[in-house]
Amino acid sequence: MTIYAFASALIRCGFFFSCATALVILTELLLLEKTGREGPASPIGARLSTLLRYDAGRAVILFSAAVLTTASAILLLAFVTCDFVVEYVAQYSDLTLPLFYRITAFWAGQAGSMLFWALAVSLGGAAFAMSKTYRSLSLRTRQWFCLLFTSVMAFFHMLLSVWVNPFVLLDFTPADGMGLNPLLQDPGMIFHPPLLLLGYGGFALPACLALAQNLGTRTGIQAGGDEDKAVQAAIRPIVLVSWSLLSTGIILGAWWAYMELGWGGYWAWDPVENASLLPWFAATAYLHTSVIERRRGKLRRVNIFLLCLITVCAFFATYLVRSGVVQSLHAFGDSGIGAPLLAFALLFLFIAAVAPLACARNGETLDEVTSREGLLMMASWLLLAVGAIILIATLWPVILNGLRGISLYLPALLSAKIPQTPMGLEASFYNRTCLPLLALLSVLLLFCPGRVWKDKPGRVAFLHPRILYAVLALAGIGAICLWAAGIRHPVALLAAACSIAGIFGIILHFAAKPSRLAEKSFLAAHVTHLGLLMVILGVAFSGPYQQKYTLELGRGQVGAAGRYRVTVNELYEGESRIGADGRPGYRFLEAELLISSDKGARVGKLSPQRRFYAKFERQSYAEAATIFSPGEEIYAVLLGVDEESQTASLAVNVNPLVNWLWFGGALMCIFPLVLLRRRARLPDDIAQTARPPAE
Amino acid sequence: MRKKSGKRLYLAALLLFLSGVGYLVISGISENSVYFLNVSEALALPAEKLQAARLFGTVGEEGIARLENRPGVRFQLEDKENTSRTLWVEYEGPVPDTFKAGAEVIVEGRLEPQSSFRAQTLMTKCPSKYRKENRS
Repeated sequence: MTIYAFASALIRCGFFFSCATALVILTELLLLEKTGREGPASPIGARLSTLLRYDAGRAVILFSAAVLTTASAILLLAFVTCDFVVEYVAQYSDLTLPLFYRITAFWAGQAGSMLFWALAVSLGGAAFAMSKTYRSLSLRTRQWFCLLFTSVMAFFHMLLSVWVNPFVLLDFTPADGMGLNPLLQDPGMIFHPPLLLLGYGGFALPACLALAQNLGTRTGIQAGGDEDKAVQAAIRPIVLVSWSLLSTGIILGAWWAYMELGWGGYWAWDPVENASLLPWFAATAYLHTSVIERRRGKLRRVNIFLLCLITVCAFFATYLVRSGVVQSLHAFGDSGIGAPLLAFALLFLFIAAVAPLACARNGETLDEVTSREGLLMMASWLLLAVGAIILIATLWPVILNGLRGISLYLPALLSAKIPQTPMGLEASFYNRTCLPLLALLSVLLLFCPGRVWKDKPGRVAFLHPRILYAVLALAGIGAICLWAAGIRHPVALLAAACSIAGIFGIILHFAAKPSRLAEKSFLAAHVTHLGLLMVILGVAFSGPYQQKYTLELGRGQVGAAGRYRVTVNELYEGESRIGADGRPGYRFLEAELLISSDKGARVGKLSPQRRFYAKFERQSYAEAATIFSPGEEIYAVLLGVDEESQTASLAVNVNPLVNWLWFGGALMCIFPLVLLRRRARLPDDIAQTARPPAE
Repeated sequence: MRKKSGKRLYLAALLLFLSGVGYLVISGISENSVYFLNVSEALALPAEKLQAARLFGTVGEEGIARLENRPGVRFQLEDKENTSRTLWVEYEGPVPDTFKAGAEVIVEGRLEPQSSFRAQTLMTKCPSKYRKENRS
């Protein structure tokens, strides 16, 4: 038996044990439910209880983590030692690949990414099962948690042993592998998939925990009770870290598309990109509604549902990407993984929708729409609406297809409107529906930083009313100035004016009371919002006001790109070698371009390349070059060089404010993490901020 | 009493919001819908219907020609299942790196009267699995 067969067997064992344990716990819980008391109702029940007293669920969670860690280590070893008898290793690496990329090839394909996702979830679960919080939970909650979590793990083990087993062996050992896709040999792409997967995986544990607590204490959770505090304190940091990872993954993906794919944009609204946004919008909405619960003890059931919805979205996103249900730019082979993913997502959605209903209502109704609670609520609506629009639009061809199938049963008025040929929505649909809603978010952010929790009787309270007036005035003046400067696109105008005013507003709030920089919740929330406003500003300009030029230039020739002059200084040909032994990595063509303004002032030098990789000779790959600027960034791609006439064809784009997107995005990814260290101070914090409930 | 009016206000706000979103979506669907078609489905339609369409297919082996004096390419788009059904596509603009015979591509544009499809965008699918070149 080879080491790989051993790994496969381990994963199957993991499936068997997880399933068995989940069934045992379920039986026990149902028996408890029937007799209504803790303790054995029958001889079988007695035996089961003895089993559970040793906490079988926890043991299986730990076992499953150990199994997946071992399997991952074996796969990694296969990559490091170039053992091409493993089909997965042969497909995604070769002998010339540097060690670093051989390691990262782990998640280059479907089976490896699934293993990585499962590993992340199981390690999180194991860490939690070993924690003090876990031991402090009541028996019921612990049982429900183990039931839910081992079911999730059983599902992962099943996927890995039936549909996407990374340890499938070839019946011969190839001399060399097929190599890693050159597009993936880039730092942006190396870290984009695992960050996304960690982000997807990170929400599974909080969802199981919140559901378990909910199901374990059906009579209504004692808000502020010991267990509740412990659970909330455990959920929050995990959610924050996962949100950061997910955001980083998405932004890194956009940045990679911009720098590496060479098509000049960063977001194409392709189903694959849209899929990653679904969990992000659900998670961001949850972050906002959960603040209301933490501060005011309201919306418990909504929060449990949203928390589960994130995980549902993560599985559904993977289903969208991997099943081929919608035509996408990314052609992942369909390995039959689609149906089980969809079934699991739907099952989880059902549990998420039904379980909170079993929980007793607690908490008051919300304050007025204009209160801080109202603002948070509206932000969540906006975020969920954008997510829903993206979901419907991405699935539109499928929805129409389904409607056509049942059109006989629909009223004639409706069925007449269904087109008989397949139709879908183009990218401009997303721009006209989602961007106005995101612009509305920037409007909300004008009011957000100064809004206090509770109004004084008879008047709306802001921390610094003067700052609010200044910000609103600035938004108006900004809009007029931008209009005068030629920004006429209404959504871009609204978004730009509000984000500029909003950025100033946040800075003014910090300036008015610098000690707020030490208040972690204020700092984290508002710097993250600052980042979002910068992203909105970047999109408002770089989207509608991008300028694109294609040029054909020989050595020394000058072309025009808007208000810039492009001169081809030199054309090079070269070869890059990798490793100490100097193996050829790739050949390249390079154009050295001098950029100057139309008045002749030098702006900078650009050296876009076209690369030819040894294993992929029939295709060439663009390496875009940019002149970094906080204002207009010049972006050039070498499309090709004509051998005879020695002319280069170039795509030169002028992207206004595109770097605000990356910088703002970085702020958004980093600053939520500031909140992590607040956990220890939480009880005091609640005592300070909790006010008597609304009358 | 106060609480009740608060709840009503939320409902009113939600209705207003949903109707705004609904308007955006419905107007978007009516204006930004395009045909999503395979080559054989496109050939079955009358030309005047194909004023805005997104076609899916593979690049045919024969007849690939770069445009002269400007970036762009002219090629035959084959149906993925039935490779004998093809459609000439002319695309002007930067050709993606991964464009080659046999590649799966997506084109967006409209059918011209002389029955060649004029594409504004040409996208190649990026496969997650890369086959060794000498295999194909």
